[in-house]
Amino acid sequence: MKGFLDYKPGDTVLHRLDPLTKIFLSVCICAACFLGEEPAFLVFLIGCDLLLGALGGVFDRAVGMFKGLLKLSIFLFVLQLLFVRSGVPLVGQPPFAITDLGVLTGLRLVLRLIGATMPLALLLSVTQMSDLSGVLVQRLHVPYKYAFTLTTAIRFIPVFANALSAIMEAQTARGVAFDTKNPFKKLGLILPLCMPLLISSVSRIHDTAAAAEMRGFTLRTRESQSRRYTFQSGDLVAALIAAALVAAGVLL
Amino acid sequence: MIEMRAFSFRYAGADRDALSNLNMTVDDGDFIGVIGPSGAGKTTLTQALSGLVPHRRSGDFFGSVTVNGLDTVNSSLTELALHVGSVFQDIDSQMIAGQVEDEILFGLENFGVDRAEIPRRVDKALADIGISPLRHRTIDSLSGGQKQKVAIAAILALRPKILVLDEPTGELDPGASEQIFRLLRRMNETHGMTVIVVEQKIMLLSAYAKKLAVLNDGVLELFGPVREVLRHSARLEEIGVHCPRVATLSNRLADLTGGALAVDLDEAEALVRGLLP
Repeated sequence: MKGFLDYKPGDTVLHRLDPLTKIFLSVCICAACFLGEEPAFLVFLIGCDLLLGALGGVFDRAVGMFKGLLKLSIFLFVLQLLFVRSGVPLVGQPPFAITDLGVLTGLRLVLRLIGATMPLALLLSVTQMSDLSGVLVQRLHVPYKYAFTLTTAIRFIPVFANALSAIMEAQTARGVAFDTKNPFKKLGLILPLCMPLLISSVSRIHDTAAAAEMRGFTLRTRESQSRRYTFQSGDLVAALIAAALVAAGVLL
Repeated sequence: MIEMRAFSFRYAGADRDALSNLNMTVDDGDFIGVIGPSGAGKTTLTQALSGLVPHRRSGDFFGSVTVNGLDTVNSSLTELALHVGSVFQDIDSQMIAGQVEDEILFGLENFGVDRAEIPRRVDKALADIGISPLRHRTIDSLSGGQKQKVAIAAILALRPKILVLDEPTGELDPGASEQIFRLLRRMNETHGMTVIVVEQKIMLLSAYAKKLAVLNDGVLELFGPVREVLRHSARLEEIGVHCPRVATLSNRLADLTGGALAVDLDEAEALVRGLLP
């Protein structure tokens, strides 16, 4: 989780895209994942996600996410194999057979899960949260209070993930076996940390809210934003690609 | 002007007052250094001035605290923020934005500073604190000391009438600490900004503050011009505040010879030379 959603500074083509375009692009890739039925097309969409990672200078993070999702996907794939009963048996005999439909359903599920999860997280990691709240307020006329709440919640995800990592590292240094390979044992060690982490997180949010109020948060209006956002030609190209992916999803 | 009259505050669940019967007046343009041992009530004092006490800290509030005529109990945090700029001890919780420039912009935009003026204010705040190269860095990539400087720059950019800082140099090296205090003095002298700073480094306070407030167990033990307070070096040592060595030495010499108090090395040298035949 460490580094997940952390903003990666840069000046790549993705960094320069308007935040709304990035949201539109990621929503379109998600939609294409759920509209498309063909596994090859779904693999292509995952390829698009990795390409986005490369274009945004966050390829390592994209690969990391892909690997993480792959582990979860194996579990979900096996569940589909075991529970889908319809279709032609490939291995074993009914009622304990693995069917062709089970394989196809499991494959679609994991490809969709991977393809749809990656784009928003990748695009958010190349977007400043202040820019995101800025466009939400300026263009979509979302009240600043809600835009700020949304972007602050997103910003706090890596902050709290880092806090958890720091606690685990400190505990490891004091002999707690957080570096164990056994996931159940690791989960058992992490669970007792959740409550203190939650309490410290709430306390920190409370203090940050007070700090925001003390710097005029309640006085802010839509006109307060000093930055102005305009769509560029790159945004048009990205929007067209996004629309084409959705169209391909409908057709395939 | 800040006035505290018979002000006491006890945190919910605590068995004693964090601050007890405090009476203190801070005039416009004052530069007050607040010092005292751990648990003396220094942070509670700064939070009372910014309104966090009682608006964000539950407990029993007695007496009154007024800031430029505003009663802190009856005024909102935002109303008080129009007069008081605060830098907390916990810097991380004060960081609102993800990037240094956005952190400075946040308050300026909220308080409706003129759009043409905003870039100048941002440039000046960054340059004054010496963090212009950090402008486009993410907050999470900064060290504790750098974050501390960003927090101070974000408040200075707002140019509040009163500046309250809780251990603003806690994570800074001696050179950077001096730089911050020089800047505070400049803001105090050229802009007439009232500065109230909690600090453990008494040498810095002695050199830059006009007055010292010494807290001990929630009680205001001493309050007055720096030289007057440092005269009580024995009492300060008793409550765990270590006086600058030159002040302690000159106090002892003064006991013997009736000489003046020295608060820095130059004054101590002059004092000793004066005593030599």
